[in-house]
Amino acid sequence: MRGRAPDPRFWLLLPALLVLLVTFVLPVGGLLARAFTQPEPGFQNFALLWERPVYLQVIWNTVMISAAATPVALILGFPVAHAMAHGSPRTRRLLIFLVLIPFWTSLLVRSFATVILLQRRGPLNTLLMNIGVIDTPLPLIYNLTGVLLGAVQTLLPFVIFPLYSSMKRIDPSLMQAALTLGAGPVRAFLRVYLPLSLPGLMTGATLVFISMLGYFVIPALLGGPQETMVAQMIQDQIAQLGSWGVAGAMSFVLLAITAGLLALLHKLVGLKAVAR
Amino acid sequence: MIPGSSIRPTRRGLLGSAAALSLAGAAAPAAAQNLRGTTVVFASWGGSYQEAQKACYCDPFAAETGARVVQDGPMNVARFRTMIESGTPDWDVADITIDFLHAGVPDNLFERIDTSLVDTSRIDPRFVHEYGIGCIAWSYNLAFNGRAYRAGAEPKTWADLFDLRRFPGKRTLSNNPVATLEVALMADGVAPDKLYPLDVDRAFRKLDSIKAQTIFWTTNSQSQQLFVDEEVNLGLILNGRAYDAARKGADIALSWEQNIQSIDYLVVPRGSRNKAAAMRLIDTMTKADNQAKLANMIAYAPTNPAAFAAIDPKISPWLSTEPDNARKGFVINAEYWRDNQRRLLERWTAWKLA
Repeated sequence: MRGRAPDPRFWLLLPALLVLLVTFVLPVGGLLARAFTQPEPGFQNFALLWERPVYLQVIWNTVMISAAATPVALILGFPVAHAMAHGSPRTRRLLIFLVLIPFWTSLLVRSFATVILLQRRGPLNTLLMNIGVIDTPLPLIYNLTGVLLGAVQTLLPFVIFPLYSSMKRIDPSLMQAALTLGAGPVRAFLRVYLPLSLPGLMTGATLVFISMLGYFVIPALLGGPQETMVAQMIQDQIAQLGSWGVAGAMSFVLLAITAGLLALLHKLVGLKAVAR
Repeated sequence: MIPGSSIRPTRRGLLGSAAALSLAGAAAPAAAQNLRGTTVVFASWGGSYQEAQKACYCDPFAAETGARVVQDGPMNVARFRTMIESGTPDWDVADITIDFLHAGVPDNLFERIDTSLVDTSRIDPRFVHEYGIGCIAWSYNLAFNGRAYRAGAEPKTWADLFDLRRFPGKRTLSNNPVATLEVALMADGVAPDKLYPLDVDRAFRKLDSIKAQTIFWTTNSQSQQLFVDEEVNLGLILNGRAYDAARKGADIALSWEQNIQSIDYLVVPRGSRNKAAAMRLIDTMTKADNQAKLANMIAYAPTNPAAFAAIDPKISPWLSTEPDNARKGFVINAEYWRDNQRRLLERWTAWKLA
């Protein structure tokens, strides 16, 4: 919005802005404000987070788990996006459909389904045991593996779509040129294709990492004791202790970390490239 | 009779009297209909529990007094507190857990129970509080898969839950220090009457011994699913969830040794505009036949011992207040938890990460 008179298109944005204001900005702002006002004005909630190591430990744990999920999602999503961008229109339609399916089911239902699929006597372990690949069931849930599997399957669309839109813009003749000029396929990929898909990769990584920081259901249902994440602790603060102040302070720290990482990313690659 | 409440012509009141009038002719003896025109708002936890409460407390109360009862909820501690702060609560009667009762009393959140309107003598004295009357009881129990153990070799005590040699394999505990620390101490040989204040170091040392073999459940449906899918053969579960799993076909059995009991209370939020009517709704809850009806509907244990005369004998063995079961258990010390929950929750989380 530059200039004096608002662009007429601004008025079309107004309803969405109002909805955001009422359902997002005000409640989140209210929660964050409580960090400084409850039970009394001051910084005592932040002091608590600092004094008791467990709070920072859980926040650090959350960052590490999210950091572990990000490359997994990128590696799994990359070939899918590639096939969508460079395959036939039929392949593309089919893949888009498959990638979008998870969005039609609630996260809770999907997480319970993942539990049933991956548990000790679940279909996957039963199959692997019946065909003789393993003798004892693999511990696929109630540990980090479970959290990563559960998280990545819900987060894949956030990697695939930005990658797809970035790859679609890559001129296929560039790869051919690299190959003709003597680069091997690996080198051509690393020196030509990968750098050109970087904006999509960065956007995907950012979306996965930031979404994962706030995950609650997946670590609660698929994780073990060591996979406790900050959202679970925020929930404990509100539901069990009624400490909106501490919950607000934890949210504040989480938000600060997210903003800090975005700023870092901006510095490294430029947010414009990410937003493109 | 109820100063103020029936005079104020609120919209809710008018709607209420219309509903009460239409109900009056059909259901109730006209003589007792002295709350006609009064609306009482009842808040609970939703789902089949609140439906049962509506059928077993609210409907009989409405039929008897002519008052109208509006269902609201779900009960939420934060909402409850905000309501009291704002001065005029939307709710007249609320179903709350024992920990919120003990947390709320010092903060002056509840009206004192008016014993001239609520016949507290019907209720087991352990479940009568100055500010709330226990309506249901439930318990933390040791449960096990009935098929997994030979007769006579089933796990019976909390010590068995921690005995990896006699009962190997995965087990489950709640992802919460409340009751879990008590369980660990009893498994280590502490008698129930010597539990409080909890020897926390000792409890965590005992928990260390089975940590690697334990799946921690966060939601009640998760605890049920672990038994239904036989992911675990034994563990800590709420009695009502074991009953529900059994009803759905799981081969699950309960031990009642040293069960830890907890209670839901009905309270009147401070500042309720229909205090007297609210008290009388609570009184309706205390009656044996209403409590028996609720137990038969959803298998929550009554707080009026006389209710057992009318409870289905297939259901009563699952109930925490059934005399044999109640004798083996004890009520959790909610004051202890009110004063120590933050510290112990921090310690619990740190222990999980370690």
